Amino acid sequence: MNPSDLAAIAPELLLVVMGAVLVLADAFVPALRPRFGAVAGASAVAAAVLRWTGPLPGAVWSGALVVDPLARFVDSYILVAVVLVAIIAGPYLARTAASYGEFYGLLLFSAVGAMVLAKADSLLVIFIGLELLLSISLYVLNAFHRDSGVSLEAGWKYLVVGAFASALLLFGIALLYGATGTFSLAATARVVAERPLAGNPLILAGLALALAGFGFKLALVPFHAWAPDVYQGSPTPVTAFLSVVPKGAMLVTLARVVAALAPQALTPKWLPLLATIAIASQVLGNLVAIAQRDVKRMLAYSGIAHMGYALVGIVAFGFDGLVGVLVYLAAYTVMNIAAFAVVSAFSESEDEPHLITDLAGQGWRRPFLSFTLALAMFSLAGIPPTVGFVAKFLVFRAAVNQGLAWLAVVGVLASFVSVFFYVRVVYYLYMKPLPQRAPAYLEPWPVRVVAGVCALAIVGLGIFPSWLLNAAETAAKTLLR
Amino acid sequence: MPTDFLLSAIVLTPGVVGLFLLATPREAARLQRWVSLLASLLTLAFAAVAWSRFDPANASFQLVEARTWLPSVGIGYRLGMDGISLVLVLLTALLQPIVFISSWRSIHDKVKGYVVAMLLLETGVLGAFLATDLFLFYVFWELMLVPMYFIIGVWGGERRIYAAVKFVLFTLAGSLLMLVAIIYLSFVFHSQTGTWSFAYEDMLRAAVPMGQGFWHSPQMLLFAAFALAFAIKVPIFPLHTWLPDAHTEAPTGGSIILAGVLLKLGTYGLLRFNRPLFPEAWHRATPLFLILAVIGIVYGALVAWAQKDMKKLVAYSSVTHMGFIVLGLFAGTLTSTQGALLQMVNHGLSTGALFLLVGVVYDRRHTRMIEDFGGLAAVMPLYTGAFLIATLSSIGLPGLNGFVGEFLILTGAFPRHPAVVAVAATGVVLGAVYMLSLVRRVFWNPLAIEANRSLPDLTWREALAFAPLAFFMVWIGVHPGTFLSLSEAAVRRLIGG
Repeated sequence: MNPSDLAAIAPELLLVVMGAVLVLADAFVPALRPRFGAVAGASAVAAAVLRWTGPLPGAVWSGALVVDPLARFVDSYILVAVVLVAIIAGPYLARTAASYGEFYGLLLFSAVGAMVLAKADSLLVIFIGLELLLSISLYVLNAFHRDSGVSLEAGWKYLVVGAFASALLLFGIALLYGATGTFSLAATARVVAERPLAGNPLILAGLALALAGFGFKLALVPFHAWAPDVYQGSPTPVTAFLSVVPKGAMLVTLARVVAALAPQALTPKWLPLLATIAIASQVLGNLVAIAQRDVKRMLAYSGIAHMGYALVGIVAFGFDGLVGVLVYLAAYTVMNIAAFAVVSAFSESEDEPHLITDLAGQGWRRPFLSFTLALAMFSLAGIPPTVGFVAKFLVFRAAVNQGLAWLAVVGVLASFVSVFFYVRVVYYLYMKPLPQRAPAYLEPWPVRVVAGVCALAIVGLGIFPSWLLNAAETAAKTLLR
Repeated sequence: MPTDFLLSAIVLTPGVVGLFLLATPREAARLQRWVSLLASLLTLAFAAVAWSRFDPANASFQLVEARTWLPSVGIGYRLGMDGISLVLVLLTALLQPIVFISSWRSIHDKVKGYVVAMLLLETGVLGAFLATDLFLFYVFWELMLVPMYFIIGVWGGERRIYAAVKFVLFTLAGSLLMLVAIIYLSFVFHSQTGTWSFAYEDMLRAAVPMGQGFWHSPQMLLFAAFALAFAIKVPIFPLHTWLPDAHTEAPTGGSIILAGVLLKLGTYGLLRFNRPLFPEAWHRATPLFLILAVIGIVYGALVAWAQKDMKKLVAYSSVTHMGFIVLGLFAGTLTSTQGALLQMVNHGLSTGALFLLVGVVYDRRHTRMIEDFGGLAAVMPLYTGAFLIATLSSIGLPGLNGFVGEFLILTGAFPRHPAVVAVAATGVVLGAVYMLSLVRRVFWNPLAIEANRSLPDLTWREALAFAPLAFFMVWIGVHPGTFLSLSEAAVRRLIGG
């Protein structure tokens, strides 16, 4: 270990320390609790500043982690998500009488887990980032309403399914290690390149199991069944976090694995499998979302479909594909957080389902939040000029450029189906009469700030995407040198 | 104003003003009405300036603007105007203030949302007509969707939700496949030249392989994807079923814009994109489209004849008129194509006027059923005169605009497709039948219903909204050369004649 190794992970260290400080402060100085959200947000901002000003040395810690522009890109939107979630979490926790200080500490730990995961250059570090840091914090956060049945159910489900997925992943890693004798992605790739895959059941099985583990975390079909219950039951800020951060980090990890394993060599095997998963996720996610009456469940199924679209970028792997995936993840982050922030503000009560009927007529009573939600819906549906459209355009373009035009066609048809339920939200907001009763809860200013930031990002990045695209291109270049 | 920003000014003025209006308080309806009207008049002024600077002899794009947008992907903010876009931009810019004037009183609920949606819609339409980058075109094309959804869904009639959702789903069904086709076109260009581009002028140089059959022919598939999007918009029979619902349920202003300009985007797209980008596929698809056009002409006319609802009748008459335009485009001669383009403008004027006038009596009586009227000529003489002018323009009376368009289409198409023209000509006769029978039942029959005896005639505001339409109906009818000469060079270039 040398000082430059420490400097390279300074943001992560900062977040771990601040997370620990928050957890301890909760125990010893509970009077400071109202400030925790600000501290967590400031820590995330500081970490982002450190990341952008600090060095990007590439492989550090003897090749365990890679700190490169790709990692910086992923860290940026993880930290943006942390800041936004920290802002909406304060009023939310106060309203639901769950202002326990651990929340913010766990949030920071979880973010560190995602950041480590997205930098992992070793199979073992993938597991550590995923399980020890990211998932375990999330298990607690899901069940944060410790008196609520649905919340406990969500935490329990995520735990059981997550443990199962981790076991699959770990087993896959063990098989790969058995076949290659190394945890390093690059070294594994060299071994794989030397031997034909077909004659190597150990590697094939290892890869398949690891992929299944990834699939669970990404909530891809057929590993998606946990998502709706967990989304519905978790505290809404946690759902917002859960829906973007682990998936984003996981998808980048998958991209690293695919890049290392030389996609050309694997293409005949990967392509049909990944393409099937992508299509199945899009189709099933969108079709089942139509039947949902609970907005959070609907967004869960929509999330399944969106990961299917993002996976198209991995299927069409290459520069365009990776750029598409990265832009997709950034877009997905802002639109999903916008949607959950508003849904949370509109719900009658946190114990009840977040029914779409609660939105009736709100468009004319609470115009600003409704506008943001409508914008998020159009963005999720991929209608220009929103960032969601740019993202979809880029992944479909990658598919076409790789000679997979049919995949793009399936993708747009799936989007077509999705328009139906996204537009239904807008229909409730603006075209249904307002029920004759006062809103259960009026959002405080932090929620409006988050909504405003997300709305600006959705339209701003939709009309001027070049900044985001350049960042994604810089990030993608490092991986595909 | 320097020429470099003129087209941007045309396109962006309504949308930017609309976004500013979003920030005004919702009680300030008067302010919102005035500002939106002024914004649309300003846009019209910009369009007039563009007209004055336009050189009709030049076939290529003028007043060109090109800015980088996403250079690594080959996407640029490219605007340009040729004669074809010019006439359609003028039509759009003319109709928009009329829409605001006509909905001055009839829209009294949620005025802010209405004017903002209308202004954003105008930006989408103008942008689609002026975009010379396929990505930009697609963005503007889809930009129209959301405002129109709101206009129908919030301010529409009883079955507005059904109509709005149907409109969105139909439109998207076509346009999403067009998106893939646009991407594929850029991919073909890249594989032939090594550069990424979405610029229209570049795409014209991309020779899409014809291949064998349909499913193995990239050109046929791309043609189909583009044509589907445009055919739904036109709409070409049998994809027209969204139209009567959307037109009938939309508020008057929405119907005027929908019929006046939105439908034109379909025929504009066929002419601008399908024809020059996929010439062989166009040639092969011509018989199919001619047949569908003729079916649309006759079927639309027959269905219009059977309507009991005035607005629905006018809506179905659109199917007929748009059928003529498609016929003119696919007949493919210079005369017929020019006629089709002129007919796009004519239909915008006459159908816009008819929707406007149907809205007038609807505001007074809250019914559009033909049987609820009769003998209005006695109580509303001015209104009767206006309706008669619009009707005669719609059925193609010589001296008014509709005649010139239909005549050019039919004479242009006759040498190549005499049989088609023969059937289509019956549509002209049927048009006179259903429109004149409408006029007879509404205006000349005895004044049997008591409520109709006290109907006030056109107000000055309604007359003001109608006047410019009548003015252009006569101008085009008497001297179509003004407008035909604008587009001739550009049409020649597109059809390669």
